Amino acid sequence: MEQELRKEASKLLEEGKVDYIVGFAPGSLKFSTTPLITKEKEEVASLVINPFIVNNLAKFLTEVLGRVGIVAKGCDSRSIVSLIQDNQVVRENVVIIGVPCSGLIDIVKVEKLVGKDRNEIDDIALQGEKVAVIVGGEKTELPTKKVLFDNCLGCEFPTPQEYDILIGEPVDTTCNRELGQEKMKELEGMTPERRWEFWKYQFSRCIMCYACRQVCPACFCERCFIEESEPQWVLPVSKWQDNLIFQVIRNIHVAGRCTDCGECERVCPVNIPLRSLTKKMYGLVNEMFHYEAGTDKNAPPLMTAYEYEETKDLIR
Amino acid sequence: MTTKKISKKDIGKLLEGWSRELTVFVPSKDKGVTEMAKWDGKDTSFLEWYRNTAIPAKASFLPASEKMFSFQKNTDGYHLELSKDQQKRIVFGIRPCDAKAMAIIDKVFTDSYEDPYYLSKRNNTILVGLSCTNPYDSCFCTSLGVEPTESADVDLMFTDIGDEFLIEEVTDRGKELMTIAVGAKEATKADDAKAKAVKVAVSGMLLRKVDTKDIAERLQACFSDKDYWEKVAAKCISCGICTFLCPTCFCFDICDELVKKQGTRYRGWDSCSFRLYTKMPMENPREEKWRRVRQKVCHKYEFYPMNFDVIACTGCGRCIRLCPVNWDITQILSSLPASVTSHSDK
Amino acid sequence: MPTTDTSSKKELLARGNVYLPHIVVIDKIIEETPSVRTLHFNFKDEKLRKKFTFESGQFAELSIFGIGETTFCISSSPSRNEHLECAINRVGLVTNAMHRLGVGAEIGFRGPYGSSFPLELMWGKNLALIGGGIGLAPLRSLIWNVLDNRDKYGNIDIIYGARSPTDLCFKYDLDSWNRDKTVNMTTTVDKSDENWTGKEGFVPTVLEQVAPSAKNAIAVVCGPPVMIRLTFPVLEKLGFLPEQMITTLEKRMKCGIGKCGRCNIGNLYVCRDGPVFTYAQIRNFISDEY
Repeated sequence: MEQELRKEASKLLEEGKVDYIVGFAPGSLKFSTTPLITKEKEEVASLVINPFIVNNLAKFLTEVLGRVGIVAKGCDSRSIVSLIQDNQVVRENVVIIGVPCSGLIDIVKVEKLVGKDRNEIDDIALQGEKVAVIVGGEKTELPTKKVLFDNCLGCEFPTPQEYDILIGEPVDTTCNRELGQEKMKELEGMTPERRWEFWKYQFSRCIMCYACRQVCPACFCERCFIEESEPQWVLPVSKWQDNLIFQVIRNIHVAGRCTDCGECERVCPVNIPLRSLTKKMYGLVNEMFHYEAGTDKNAPPLMTAYEYEETKDLIR
Repeated sequence: MTTKKISKKDIGKLLEGWSRELTVFVPSKDKGVTEMAKWDGKDTSFLEWYRNTAIPAKASFLPASEKMFSFQKNTDGYHLELSKDQQKRIVFGIRPCDAKAMAIIDKVFTDSYEDPYYLSKRNNTILVGLSCTNPYDSCFCTSLGVEPTESADVDLMFTDIGDEFLIEEVTDRGKELMTIAVGAKEATKADDAKAKAVKVAVSGMLLRKVDTKDIAERLQACFSDKDYWEKVAAKCISCGICTFLCPTCFCFDICDELVKKQGTRYRGWDSCSFRLYTKMPMENPREEKWRRVRQKVCHKYEFYPMNFDVIACTGCGRCIRLCPVNWDITQILSSLPASVTSHSDK
Repeated sequence: MPTTDTSSKKELLARGNVYLPHIVVIDKIIEETPSVRTLHFNFKDEKLRKKFTFESGQFAELSIFGIGETTFCISSSPSRNEHLECAINRVGLVTNAMHRLGVGAEIGFRGPYGSSFPLELMWGKNLALIGGGIGLAPLRSLIWNVLDNRDKYGNIDIIYGARSPTDLCFKYDLDSWNRDKTVNMTTTVDKSDENWTGKEGFVPTVLEQVAPSAKNAIAVVCGPPVMIRLTFPVLEKLGFLPEQMITTLEKRMKCGIGKCGRCNIGNLYVCRDGPVFTYAQIRNFISDEY
């Protein structure tokens, strides 16, 4: 698959169909990858596809100038479609190289289960229902369900629905969307007071690094609401009340754009379970509006359109 | 200097003894992230899981947000009340990279004007260092002149020699602290030898290296190379993780909070990676991302050494480990263009 | 070369906390233009009022408690210290709030910080003082300082311009300098209106027309960055060497004392090593961000 990807990407650059290729290259830490944004054909030879291609590259589409050939997993391609719906990306300027995804492995979970550090592990291979982890020549098999990222467990769109080129075969879409929602279900079962205490505790350690916002493709505002000073909605320094407001409003703003790629939770340096909020919003959007973000590039963005019948309840 | 030692089993008693006189901070996971936090009085399990905290020790001296003073508008005008933090503390378990980082940023907080908040915390805190046993693959302290097992910037240095810690007194404050140390015994020559062997072994475990010779000159030479910096900055997403979690980053913001007629002035972490960091009403000198990335690298390896004779980096590797896009400073420094036209032609 | 006033620094340090503002009370407000007003204020503490000194070119951090703190250069002269003056241009949260204050309001004052105009180097020299828009604020402190010690200096040319007649700041000063026979005063506007009888043209252009001599002279340029960048080449054409050209730079600031890291140009901090710089220094700046 990697060879095919490199060939296609190289061809796109050669034929002048795109100015940049955006994909994944091997990272500087074991079992990691890093985004590659390049114009050079030689660098395209380092593109990879493996179970560690975590980043949502759609983020770079709002930054990179020119026509882009972008490697997109299922969730990423939905983010791209969502950006097209919001008029942030012009469809003709993007060549979507779809990569069907069987799930991404969370190295932290693997490290915990085998009790070894990532650089003591020789190899990790995703083999269907099992993941083979080789440490010091010895192989351990772990159930795939135990080492994938939570949002991968409930993924409904592992194969990109919108693409120009598809690398490899489409992946079976019989995922159970109830999976990977334990944390959220636990929260739903709490009383409002208990839940408030939970989030107050979580957001006390938020350091306002804005990584969750910066990594999210749906956060493309030129000037984010927290950067406003007249009026000042939240303080620029970390206070649990302001941290909480920030995240709640951010979730409201990305409602209908969030594709549950899980990046916000993965990048949070202080381990706040942000997906519990985003997934809840995702569920609400589904429930109230029967809407799945990024599945129809011709649909208007969710929060900017309404049916006349709806107004009878909302506008009084 | 006589060395002492203490059995790992007795660490609880040691900390207990100390906590009768001072507040003891230890590596903790209680809040959901690894950081230095107030010891709960009994749990010493950190000795098993602790490698390095995600939140660096600088947070104990320059917190993510702190009160500077409060103000109140009365009938006769404004009254300001300073926030004072005079708590006497021990930070137990600081790694050599984080300890050196404190010495590095001390310079900026004492230069020209003394920063009262930072310095009062520094002066009231005793640092008890803990030598590394298991460096991360992202650590590169030896490239910055830091040994993972030695430190001149702590008051006491604990080295893991198996079931015991060897204790070296580095400063007079450390010596004084040992006079109320419960459970410490005299170390033998064999213990000293063991410690020496451990130090050499751990130092050799660091695989990541970067050549920092003449780094300031090399950076100056490629300062105006826009294409190079655009390439370097391409995948950065301008969040604040690397700068916030960096033990030698110290940029801060000041803001006010008002509730009716009273309020507080806060200081908190800020980052040169943010787009609005240098924004002025009419222009923003670092609107483009490549300028901000260039500023971050050059400030740490060129500008800070020009002012204070020390590189503002101790190779702790947090920026590499926790960066969302695996942007790697060691890769950048190793790939500086060798010869470019110089910035100014005079 | 730029000097920092150290005597006030020790006095203010004696207070124990360099971030704690002193309370000052506004005793007069002058509306200069639709977006600029000058505040006259004094320390609430009598003792401080008597002891406080500063030098032309230095700045202060003024606070509105609950809103925030911003940097303003002190536009009054140290030679006229019955009160202090700052010119406030309405561009953001704090400055807009400053425009809503009335006489008697209390604000916070931290300072003076930064480097100042090198008066000793200017003694016995001819001066070309060039200002644009609100850039006249720091220059004004220097001008009154110089005029109050007139015999120490040679010829004085003042060239000041603004976008339009309504944007001219310190009109009362412009009148005084116009009437002052020891000074060669030229005022210009980029675009005049039907009532304007003075010169029309950009400051660098008018400077070339006035053509002050570079012999034994020092030029001081204060204004928006674009004006400064266009004025230096004109001065060079007139024969001024880089060491003879002085300017003030502006960057976003917070602490004002070289700690928060924000206002740096390369390894120099505008709050600590500036805001007064010579053109010779600027050309040798390690960074292109000014």
